[in-house]
Amino acid sequence: MAPLAKTGALSPEANLWAAVGLGFLFGFVLQRSGFTDSRKIARAFYFRDVDVPVVMWSAIVTGALGLWGLSLLGVLDVSRMYFLPTFLAPMVVGGLIFGVGMVVGGYCPGTGAAAAATGKLDALVFIVGFFVGTLLFGDVFPVWGDFYRSDYRGVWRLDQLLGIRLGAAVLLVTLTAVAGVWVLRRLQRQFWPHEARILCWEDRVLGVSALVLAGMLALFPNSAFIPEHPPDYYLVPKASLPGG
Amino acid sequence: MHDTVEERSCWRPVTAGVALGLVMVLTFVVSGRGFGASGGLTRLAATLQHWIAPELTEHSAYFAPYFAQGGHPLHHYLVFMLAGILAGAVAGAALSGQLRFEVLRGPGIAPGRRLLLAALGGILVGFAARLARGCTSGQALVGGAELSVGSWAFMISIFAGGYAAAWFVRRQWL
Repeated sequence: MAPLAKTGALSPEANLWAAVGLGFLFGFVLQRSGFTDSRKIARAFYFRDVDVPVVMWSAIVTGALGLWGLSLLGVLDVSRMYFLPTFLAPMVVGGLIFGVGMVVGGYCPGTGAAAAATGKLDALVFIVGFFVGTLLFGDVFPVWGDFYRSDYRGVWRLDQLLGIRLGAAVLLVTLTAVAGVWVLRRLQRQFWPHEARILCWEDRVLGVSALVLAGMLALFPNSAFIPEHPPDYYLVPKASLPGG
Repeated sequence: MHDTVEERSCWRPVTAGVALGLVMVLTFVVSGRGFGASGGLTRLAATLQHWIAPELTEHSAYFAPYFAQGGHPLHHYLVFMLAGILAGAVAGAALSGQLRFEVLRGPGIAPGRRLLLAALGGILVGFAARLARGCTSGQALVGGAELSVGSWAFMISIFAGGYAAAWFVRRQWL
């Protein structure tokens, strides 16, 4: 089943070309979300345009429901996936600098690259700056290398942090997202009444659907999401898998 | 206002977010990892520097692994994805008539000053994305869905930093 690149259904070379297609969809959605406009991104930090955090909340909830829901259904084997490890202190410090850079520059890396490709010259200059910052980090790496590698916590999830079940953590994230979208819209209406958008029925349907799905996930124990013994449904025998 | 017209031509935010989330899930299913943008850009930066200073780049403590065992920094999943991101954005802009050269800026700032701030912001974001091992796409969104504690800490810190600095650059945007 899935992930296709790890079960042998997709060769490493084919996976690289799949990345082009997946990137195309990603770039297309970023552009259609209005994220290739620095003003739209920066105005999120003044509550004048809250679409950026609303898109982020919706994407995270959809991603979490898809990832853990497909794992629950046995379609996606999470034991064969790459999960992001936590280096807590560098990520907090990196996030603070990143946030300052975003409101000063008006983009993040993905939106900046996408905007530069569509002719936004401020984004092109932002990406040149991004290269300078990246090379500064890499070439003077010994100075901050120790901090970069510090505070390693492995793959550490919110459910483990809070001592709750994985499904309950997905429900908590979904509840926070729905509440977050509502609060952001209230703040926008408070500070910028002429630019506030109203919730439409599609938003409500999507929000309620997400809550129902997350509520269902919360009923299952962790072993339903992360099997202790990986299932044997791989398309090729496990012994012939790289590292298998 | 000019920019409100453009806003009407983009997708509604919740719908757009669900579409973005579905692309993320498709990436999990196909490749067993998340999407990302800064990884590809970092490898592109290393390649550009390698043209000018090959020795420095190949012996850099951070970039050396890109060249290990005869490897090329551009032969990587995230670089192929970056090519797709650029093409996808161009397609989206072309279909909606937004493909044109312009400097996007608030009403109260001159183009030169806007470009200066864009460069400064880019330097900060480039440095910070390496320190945090990813950006808003690959670290915040993907890690957010994976329920990663580090990713949530990163995301909360982004907004803390952004809201804290917003007042100082308000004349650029409002």
